[in-house]
Amino acid sequence: MMEDALPLIALSFTVYLGFALLALSQTRHWRQVAGPTPPSHGRVIALRFAGSATIALSLVLALTRDGPSFGALLWATAISLAALTVALTLSWRPVWLAPLAMLATARRRKPPPCKPTV
Amino acid sequence: MGQGLRASMTWLHTWTGVVLGALLFAIFWMGTLSVFDREIDRWMMSETRIALSTSDIMSLDGLLPRVHEHVGQNVKNWWLNLPEPRTPIADLWYQDSSGAYHGPVLLNPLTSRQLSERQTLGGSGFIFPFHFNLHLRWFDIGYWLVGFAGMAMMALLVSGVIIHRKIFLDFFTFRWERKLPRASLDLHNLTGVLGLPFHFVITFSGLIIFTYTYFPTIPGLVYAYTTSPVAALHDEAQELFSRPPLNERAVLASLDAMVREANERWDGAGIRSVQVFHPGDANTYVRINRSHLDAIPRHLGVIYFDGPTGAILHTTDIPRPIKLVERFIVGLHFIQFDHWPLRWIYFMLGLSGCVMIATGFIYWLETRRKRHAAQGLPGVRIVEGLTVGAVTGIIIATLAFFAANRLLPSGAALAGYDRAALEVWAFYLVWLAAFAHAWARPGNAWREQCRVIAGLALLAPALNWLTTGDHLPKTLLDGYWPVAGMDLVLLAGAVIAATTARRLHRRGAMAAERAARDRLETAE
Repeated sequence: MMEDALPLIALSFTVYLGFALLALSQTRHWRQVAGPTPPSHGRVIALRFAGSATIALSLVLALTRDGPSFGALLWATAISLAALTVALTLSWRPVWLAPLAMLATARRRKPPPCKPTV
Repeated sequence: MGQGLRASMTWLHTWTGVVLGALLFAIFWMGTLSVFDREIDRWMMSETRIALSTSDIMSLDGLLPRVHEHVGQNVKNWWLNLPEPRTPIADLWYQDSSGAYHGPVLLNPLTSRQLSERQTLGGSGFIFPFHFNLHLRWFDIGYWLVGFAGMAMMALLVSGVIIHRKIFLDFFTFRWERKLPRASLDLHNLTGVLGLPFHFVITFSGLIIFTYTYFPTIPGLVYAYTTSPVAALHDEAQELFSRPPLNERAVLASLDAMVREANERWDGAGIRSVQVFHPGDANTYVRINRSHLDAIPRHLGVIYFDGPTGAILHTTDIPRPIKLVERFIVGLHFIQFDHWPLRWIYFMLGLSGCVMIATGFIYWLETRRKRHAAQGLPGVRIVEGLTVGAVTGIIIATLAFFAANRLLPSGAALAGYDRAALEVWAFYLVWLAAFAHAWARPGNAWREQCRVIAGLALLAPALNWLTTGDHLPKTLLDGYWPVAGMDLVLLAGAVIAATTARRLHRRGAMAAERAARDRLETAE
């Protein structure tokens, strides 16, 4: 049972994650999740690349789990459902995606400029 | 993209949607339920709730005397569909000497005994055919209506993409807290765009299934020399085998041995059905179909055995390329394969299609309501009744169908209609009543019908418990998922409908308060 479920959980997770990253690359959704500062151009590119790569990985997972015929059909339908789930997350609980945005900002955050002390 | 194109596509999208939306919703709703038609069958045909394990394989040789009891001696052929995980019964069919088909006789695979008369059409007999022919058999008008709606659906999807102003900017956007026109358009766009691959492929494959219904003359061009060109086309494309009877007696060799041999040749994929032609004749032959649980295309393998000797006469494995492509497209629509994650995804995406159609209607209504009221146009009033009847009305009718199935006593009959027909009458009468209510009480219909849905969706599992004893904790503990799943989906539906009704009530109360305040201010 567990051996059967694990690839499926991994597939659901990656395909959802992929679309969440793509959504965060859009200013509107980035602001919903991470606050008013829009993402920099470099971050947008990075998010889109990571999102696309994760979705591509989900295709590999689907194909390895189910073979070319069922795998392709599973992936082609799962992407629709995952994208819808991401959209619903963004409209009801955008804060759930906050960890993802934090992850995307973590490495690039510069140390705050020192204020001159009086 | 010129403004002219977008304007004309908007016109096409709007009018096609308003005129055919109700029909499309019915097709989508019934198709979504058909994803679980066998599970609905188990729920509605409580005597077929048989827990079957894979080791319970029927002995066909042992079953033969019982088959002959049912079909008699003088039949052209008979066939037996073997039990599958989702259908734990065997069904026997036959074609008598005049060519007429009879069946199904339902057999319990554990005991080989006949199950009591099926007194309901159930999911596979009512809901599934409704999806593709609306039960309008007169001149095949139902098939043509569904085909027309399918073509319209493809046009709606394409024109919808063309008229969408911000397809990528709004890709993940649903602003539910905004006013109703905006929120409903967001949801319409969201389900339309993100579900587009599924909706397009499912509509297209649905049309492909009925190619020869919609283009009946095409096989006649190629097979002009026969009286039944469609049958000739299928025979040749599937490399089917046949031979006439010899009119001499002979005894059938062991069917079990043939089944074993076929199964070995198919690496244990399993057997879907066994068909015996010219039973009792010296030229009798047996057709064995491979199970299609493990593949998307249906009917992947057929083996013909010589009846008296049990020797292989003819085999077909993978069909020819064009036929295989057709089988794949058809198979991905029928989802007769064994794949639970896909089945649930189809169900959810089918529901997203229903949401897409319903929100399209709501957007149309909400953007015209004030103008139509100001100009005294009847459009909104008519379309609102149509929408409510088509959306919540068909859901209520479906639930009434389920409730009637549990309420009607065995052998019930009224005015010449048997029990199965009475369930169908319950469906149509309740649907009609829902339309009447929707037109009679505009402004309240959505809320009231949502309440009825919530009530019926609670009632159905309760009736299932009372009439069969299979309550939810029991089916869950037993892991009997067909019935547990149906009850769970019904209860989830009840919660959603009750929440919707409460929100509509609150919104209605707020609107009434606002209107009263406005009246007061103008009076002062």
